[in-house]
Amino acid sequence: MFNLLPSVPQLLFVLFGAMALGCAVAMVAQRNPLYSAISLVGVFVSLACLYLTLQAPFIAAIQVIVYAGTIMVLVVFVIMLLNVEEEVRRPLRLTYLIPVGVLLAAVLVGEAAFMLSLGSSAPTPAQTTSGSDVGLTASIGTGMFTKYLLPFEVTSVLILMALVGAITLARQGRTPLFAAPGNVDEEPAVLTAGGDVAIKPGDTAATGRAYAREQIRSGDAAAPSTSAGEEER
Amino acid sequence: MDWLSNQIGADWARALAQFVGINVGFVVVLMIVAYTVLAERRVLGFIQGRLGPNRVGPGGMFQPFADLLKFIFKEEITPSASTRFVYFLAPIIAITAALMPIIVYPFGPEVWLPFLGTFPLVIARFDIALLYVLGITSVGVYGVALAGWSSNSKYSLMGGLRAASQMISYELSLGLSLVGVVLMSGTLNLYDIVVQQGGGGGVLNWNIWSFWKAGTCPQIIGFITYLISAIAETNRVPFDLPEAETELVAGFHTEYSALKFALFFMAEYVNMFTVSMLATTLFLGGWQGPFVDVFPWIGIVWFLLKVVFFLFLYIWLRGTLPRFRFDQLMNFGWKFLLPVAIINVILTATVLYFRWS
Repeated sequence: MFNLLPSVPQLLFVLFGAMALGCAVAMVAQRNPLYSAISLVGVFVSLACLYLTLQAPFIAAIQVIVYAGTIMVLVVFVIMLLNVEEEVRRPLRLTYLIPVGVLLAAVLVGEAAFMLSLGSSAPTPAQTTSGSDVGLTASIGTGMFTKYLLPFEVTSVLILMALVGAITLARQGRTPLFAAPGNVDEEPAVLTAGGDVAIKPGDTAATGRAYAREQIRSGDAAAPSTSAGEEER
Repeated sequence: MDWLSNQIGADWARALAQFVGINVGFVVVLMIVAYTVLAERRVLGFIQGRLGPNRVGPGGMFQPFADLLKFIFKEEITPSASTRFVYFLAPIIAITAALMPIIVYPFGPEVWLPFLGTFPLVIARFDIALLYVLGITSVGVYGVALAGWSSNSKYSLMGGLRAASQMISYELSLGLSLVGVVLMSGTLNLYDIVVQQGGGGGVLNWNIWSFWKAGTCPQIIGFITYLISAIAETNRVPFDLPEAETELVAGFHTEYSALKFALFFMAEYVNMFTVSMLATTLFLGGWQGPFVDVFPWIGIVWFLLKVVFFLFLYIWLRGTLPRFRFDQLMNFGWKFLLPVAIINVILTATVLYFRWS
């Protein structure tokens, strides 16, 4: 009676495979950038579930933590802060790229068909890896800190450089990290007609008073009722 | 179990058992959460010198159900210019991400039942349980951020942004404060971590202060950094800036009403419960306690007692502490908590290196 049931891994594969495909199509087809970002999160999560069915739990967890949990949160943040509008449909430019796209899609489909024809005779990944420790946390850690130590360290230096670069770019408008000629915005002192220094650079209270006096003179603001008002801060 | 396996195959029997287990777990956790809300209101009342809700049922015992009924029958209001789909999706993400981690926490040792045989008291037992918890927690940010954005209200947006940046910032120190325990136990499987905290010596074997057993290092710094970042991660007092009512009305759920608000509300308390369970499991020995060897079922009692202690701590803090300012919160997280968590990792690694060699 229950022989028609698919096996559990088969069912999970179909379920999450369909979810990944659907989310991927939705991501490309959506015109609202935020919907695209949410669809991409869906793709990442369903891919992580597929990794789980392929007995690679560590990769699955890292997929969710790094991509879905960190990178996409930043993307969503940027979309939210910039308040990106919905894309409008524009007339297609670069029409000569269409045949190239069709050709590449044909190559991809052909490759997939070739792999599927191979796969029917070869053992499925789940069978080959079930006995080994490939994809487990311990084996990945051992490999990363022994055999692949140098690439691992070089990659971390690369990421550190990106971090330093981002901080340098973000700070450029404000206090410069390195005081060099042309790097510091010099604020000129305000001089009286006689040549004496009236307001020193950085004296905000004095500049505020000068601005208020200027406004009163030009009639943009009413003069204070008492004569002592000008001395108040 | 054997009969079921013969009928539909071992795989499906296991899947069915897991399905039943997960749903029972969800119902139990939601019941505990409902009574946590009641306990919070009563304890806050006690701290503030008033009574709290005590009219519905004996001592207010049925208050959670009255609240739920009220939530269900309130009017659902959708802001006119909201992003409709995301507005509906956000509370679902919040409650799903809150409920999913509860399946990996072991709440008792291996027990025996007629017809079922011997089995450990944990719904799902797998190797990357701790990473799974951290991964789901990091996805939970979306619920809050999207809720703030889709409501099309400035208070919601500010609350959502604050909540998301706060959760991202404190996730780092939360994850790093757990690394010490992982270094000690050499596994990410929560059940194995609890088993390792047992044996002779009893309470002294808990990870928070275990030093007498071979290959251990007391995790008191890790425990404190975890506790602080967990409070920030769940957006509770004194880190409840996302819903600071004096400036942001109610933060990211300003525009939510009825059952959708209830989902956010439940998600907050489920999150509180799960971080308490994680603290219990990793630092305070999980279900380990006196007489567990003789009578395994008593493990559930020890586990719940420890979790309830943490829940009470949460409520206590809410009753006593004022709220941080946002820049103070960020400075504290990045300039104090994160370095301390990193120092704890280095310390633990050094101590373990010398104790092993």
